[in-house]
Amino acid sequence: MRISKRVDQIEPSGIRAFFDLVLGMKGVISLGVGEPDFVTPWNVRARAIESIEQGFTSYTSNKGMLELRRGITASLKERHRMAYDPEEEILITVGVSEALDLAMRAILNPGEKILIPEPCYVAYGPVVQLAGGEAVFLKTSVETGFKVTPQQIDEAAGVGVRGILLGYPSNPTGASYTKKELEAIAHVIKKHDMLVISDELYDELTYDFKHTPIATLAGMRDRVVYLNGFSKSYAMTGFRVGYACGPADIIGAMTKIHQHTMLCASITGQMAAVEALKNSAGDVQAMKKEYDRRRRFIVGALNDIGMTCHMPQGAFYVFPSVEVTGESAMDFAKNLLLKQKVALVPGDAFGRSCSQYVRISYASSYDNLKEAVLRIEKYLKKK
Amino acid sequence: MSKTKSSPSTTVRALIEVSITPQKDVGFDNIAERIYSYPQVKSCYLLSGGYDLLVIVEGDSILMVADFVAAKLSSMANVRQTATHFLLRKYKEEGKVFKHSKGEQRQNISY
Repeated sequence: MRISKRVDQIEPSGIRAFFDLVLGMKGVISLGVGEPDFVTPWNVRARAIESIEQGFTSYTSNKGMLELRRGITASLKERHRMAYDPEEEILITVGVSEALDLAMRAILNPGEKILIPEPCYVAYGPVVQLAGGEAVFLKTSVETGFKVTPQQIDEAAGVGVRGILLGYPSNPTGASYTKKELEAIAHVIKKHDMLVISDELYDELTYDFKHTPIATLAGMRDRVVYLNGFSKSYAMTGFRVGYACGPADIIGAMTKIHQHTMLCASITGQMAAVEALKNSAGDVQAMKKEYDRRRRFIVGALNDIGMTCHMPQGAFYVFPSVEVTGESAMDFAKNLLLKQKVALVPGDAFGRSCSQYVRISYASSYDNLKEAVLRIEKYLKKK
Repeated sequence: MSKTKSSPSTTVRALIEVSITPQKDVGFDNIAERIYSYPQVKSCYLLSGGYDLLVIVEGDSILMVADFVAAKLSSMANVRQTATHFLLRKYKEEGKVFKHSKGEQRQNISY
């Protein structure tokens, strides 16, 4: 069957076969999961159940429930001193994934380019391509903590470059940016009159400094589409609720696409999200504290057994090198899975420059992490 | 919030309701002392209600706890009756919540 060129150009994931191998195995300790191991806080689950019992099963406004948009406005104001009009500048989406897609489709004309620091989340490239744009990957390295530098952006910017897709804290590296680092990036962005699509889904899981949304920096608000959601901070991945904030014209354009393709996010998820904003701030902090404990353990333990691992500043991932094994990340991941039943994700999934790294998720219990490190050590010793 | 799964423990714990005939002048104190002096007794409370002492016992196996109840506790003078409840699952203790696996509901791997 003939498939559209736009879809056909999306390269199939080279690690799909590895994923299938993992999914087919039992008794695996998995450090390959990209979602929290915590269950959604009970009050949030209870509100979702209650809302169904009360008969809230209809569509909502295309933009999402006004109560939720108002809640987001209040939350952003309190946490980051951001100011978005809930009527015109916020759109509730089906997770940040949809928001990313909408943002790209709203801003890109055919052939326009989006800069993407690599390693990056797997969907970043495809959403740009599916919107008719061209993804330009900027390779980062462990030397800069997997952070893109202002110089890299400056050199890549120019004619046809519409903007940059920045995800921080990063999936897969956990890298994040200080306010000072962001100010230097913002300077270049303004110089080249670029937009920023800023995926800050893991913002609440920033450990070593306070998270700074790039939209809050001087002169940036009107050139940033700020994306966030409830999946990671509130352990609500299955509820599929995200949101986009930005200038009214871009949000309006995104809403136009959203109303014809998605109509609205699930009312149950939106009801649950309202409850999360109202009453689950304490849960977020408790989860963050536990993730931080695990982060310190896993980085120390991996370095102790010879796998060089930088200390990430956020999210719940580390991105160690497999150089010590003498294997490619893919071979290491396969062999570790087959011999020691530990699953992790080969870096290849996150960019062509990442075949010497693996992503380890510490969204797994402390006991699991300890056992996994023992098994990795055993594997390394037997080599 | 829901916490992660606690580490597995092999210790067996039982809550034992103990009915006692109180002694003249000292009431329950002496018999309570005799009971709580056993090292396997981790807690001992005098309660109002249908029985007198709530005794929390730990052992390495069900047999060890059962032996303690049969050989030491039940046979003690002034102990009229015991009812032993073995702890099956710990949901919350001292403010700490224990999440019990309903089976890993996440997929083994995801982006």
